[in-house]
Amino acid sequence: TELKISHIRPQGATIDNELKELATEIDQATGGDVTLKIFAASALGDYTTVQERISVGAIDMAVQPAATAASRRMQISSFPYIAENWAQAKAIYGPGGAINKAMKSLYAKQDIEMLAAYPVYFGGVALNTDAVSPGDPNVDKGIKVRVPGIKSFQLTADALGYISSPIPFSEAFTAVQTGVVDGVIGSGAEGYYASFRDVTKTYVPVNTHFEVWYMIINNGSMADLDAEDQAALRKAAADFEVRRWAKAESDQTANEQKLAEYGATIVELSDEQLAATAAKVRAEVWPQILKDVGADWGQKILDEINK
Amino acid sequence: MVEVALIAVAVLVILLTLGLPLPYCFGGGLMVMYYLGDVVMKGNMLWGFQQLGNPVLLAIPLFVLAGTIMSASGIAASLLNFVNIFVGHLRGGLGVVATISCALIGAISGSGLTGVAAIGPLLIPEMEKQGYPREYATALIANSSLLGLLIPPSVTMIVYGWVTDTSILACFLATLGPGLLIMTNFSVVNVWLARKFPLKLEERPKGEEFVAEVANRGFKATPALLMPVIILGGIYGGIMTPTEAAALAVIYAIPVGFLIYKGLDLKTFLFAGKEASTAVGAIMLMILFSMILSQIFVVESVPQALVEAIFSITDDKVVLLILINVLLFLVGMVVNDVTAIILIAPLLLPLMEALGISPIQFAAIMGVNTAMGGVTPPYASILYLGARIGKVPVTKVIKPAMLLIVTGYLPVVILTSFWTDLSMFLPTFFGY
Amino acid sequence: MNKFASYLLTGLICLVAGGQFVQVITRYVLEIPVMGLEETLLYPTMWLYMLGAVNASRENTHIRANVLEIFLKTKRQIVGLAIVGEVLSLIIGGWLTYWAWDFTKYSLRVWKESPTLYLPTFYVDVALITGMVLMMIYTAMHLVSHIRDLATDEEQ
Ligand code: NA
Ligand code: NA
Repeated sequence: TELKISHIRPQGATIDNELKELATEIDQATGGDVTLKIFAASALGDYTTVQERISVGAIDMAVQPAATAASRRMQISSFPYIAENWAQAKAIYGPGGAINKAMKSLYAKQDIEMLAAYPVYFGGVALNTDAVSPGDPNVDKGIKVRVPGIKSFQLTADALGYISSPIPFSEAFTAVQTGVVDGVIGSGAEGYYASFRDVTKTYVPVNTHFEVWYMIINNGSMADLDAEDQAALRKAAADFEVRRWAKAESDQTANEQKLAEYGATIVELSDEQLAATAAKVRAEVWPQILKDVGADWGQKILDEINK
Repeated sequence: MVEVALIAVAVLVILLTLGLPLPYCFGGGLMVMYYLGDVVMKGNMLWGFQQLGNPVLLAIPLFVLAGTIMSASGIAASLLNFVNIFVGHLRGGLGVVATISCALIGAISGSGLTGVAAIGPLLIPEMEKQGYPREYATALIANSSLLGLLIPPSVTMIVYGWVTDTSILACFLATLGPGLLIMTNFSVVNVWLARKFPLKLEERPKGEEFVAEVANRGFKATPALLMPVIILGGIYGGIMTPTEAAALAVIYAIPVGFLIYKGLDLKTFLFAGKEASTAVGAIMLMILFSMILSQIFVVESVPQALVEAIFSITDDKVVLLILINVLLFLVGMVVNDVTAIILIAPLLLPLMEALGISPIQFAAIMGVNTAMGGVTPPYASILYLGARIGKVPVTKVIKPAMLLIVTGYLPVVILTSFWTDLSMFLPTFFGY
Repeated sequence: MNKFASYLLTGLICLVAGGQFVQVITRYVLEIPVMGLEETLLYPTMWLYMLGAVNASRENTHIRANVLEIFLKTKRQIVGLAIVGEVLSLIIGGWLTYWAWDFTKYSLRVWKESPTLYLPTFYVDVALITGMVLMMIYTAMHLVSHIRDLATDEEQ
């Protein structure tokens, strides 16, 4: 069986190479029964469309962010400032973690099995100008930044003291280039290096959110495999996730390094500054998003995290 | 599956020939893929419909409406009246104005269709009035419109830079040289062809009379002349995105047309609104089904199969470069520009590098070829849009369009492949 | 009908232009961008596209490349070709409408919401099936009128 798997980065990107490795592994583990056909660069549509196409069984698999159109609760995955460091991130988003379990059950309602979490990076702000008090969220920076059309990012940008401007991704690069906005929020060093490095003068690793993608498969595509192949696929995905957690942090450092080598200034923030920023965003943004996802449901997950 | 895809394209061509509305021609191709190729159709409408929501496409209706209002209200006429003092006595002058206007609009928009959408409703009737055949005027503007993909900014180059991990600014610079050369070609060919058109040329006034006429027409044209200033200034001044500029063009044109030029009244305004919306609806429905068809080709790896077929033929550099251009031409015939780049660029790049061609030069090769793809039938979205806006049958536009493709695009396609400096001079100059 | 179409389509397209314009004003002049404007504009935009296409069917001004027509001599042949064209359009269009219906059912079942204002996107999606059905009705009407043409032609 050939499974079509989609991801959102260009060919040769880290995720692309890792999926090629995974493909080889699955091919061997199933004795050639299951092969992966990789579609890079969102060739099958952006991640929101791909998730729906997986849900109806038109595409088999993907590794990508969670799309929130069919279930607003999936915003729990991109809640700002839930994790403060990599160890916490692994405990929350990794196997058995509170958000991991929550996402698994939300995907299940869309006829999708979540096979693995794929940690990518802590997010930051990329600016085409010099940073203004980057460590103090209480200073109005007077800098317009492009935010994706996702509520939590818009609220976070405002809480950090930036002026949020919703601009579609397809127009974002030129918007920064011509100065319609002076920066971008919603991604991290890896994403900025891939799409915005020519217009990034300053990078502020303010840990806006924890970017995590999920490896997902349509329930029908999974059911079409025999029991042995199913087990082999699940095991390969679990190993894939383990390898990823081991590598993610050093990848993030490497990507910041790449931005720096390309000419960007990387702002250093102290632990106190990060903690103050986190406190402010939690106080201002969480209540609003919590209300959106259902306060009881969301609070239960936050409580489980804080235990 | 490649065989089925070829049958689908054949059916598409047959249905086109029979004269079905274009959306159904692509629908016929889809039916072939579904019934003979056994592809999954579920979820494809969802995909296509969501693609239509892309904000970049939104510039189409807005620029079409702005153009229609400008031409209905007298804004366009006063602008042309002014330009005509300088070029009206020159044979072919208005055609050159059309081409250069498309290039200028291209400099504010990232897509290949803004030129025809914005300039078409304005200049096609004017050119006809001066004696150019309507189908020729339409073909010239449709062809020139694709300069929007070669004069930066450009959606295709943004996508190319992204999928091949190349600097987007370098890609922008790489297509600029070829784009200007194509613009020159069109201008020269237009002047040459214009010898044979029965043009009514203006007498150029002399001396004081000329100055007075410049002042008079210039004054009347000022509100119209401010329009490009506002649009270009807005975009390059960092105030708005090209799509928003298209909206501003509409918002500006309405009061100017109603109050200053007075050519606009409720009746003409409603007519312009309906005309623009209908043109846009027709083109969007075609885009919807053609995108679904090319998406199915992507899922079934048809483009990859074509690439493999070509490389099984030879390893001679010159022959390969020619074959790659032929391949890009063929791909451009059946899929849209951005899809072509997502599919082909990463596949061919390693082979191009093996042939000693840099990713930046390859950006220019892809750019010129995919731009040309916009006017090569059967999938010639920009040409069809032009025919719709110019209100001429597609069959009549194809002949003059082919003439312009052969004289304007083809020489530059060949030069871009074989003369490195054409695309590499600017990027090298700026240190890429 | 023509007047209704003019008002409706002009209203939709002006709404879209106005929305984009508001975006510029609020971001550049007031520096407080409106959240969710982009997703709201999707409603008039998609309805504009589909109803514009329906109007093209009504006026019979869809883009066509009728190469064959050039070679036909008599009116009878031309009407005959038009009938073949409309029948094929109905078959293909009917098939596409079926899939548009499939999409509509999906959209109704899943009941998606827009990312910031949580507006139900079903009311965007339903434009597709509405447009396809109306286009099929107009196509059928054109077919009937072509057949009438042929019939009156034979009587003469
Ligand atoms: Na351009
Ligand atoms: Na083409």
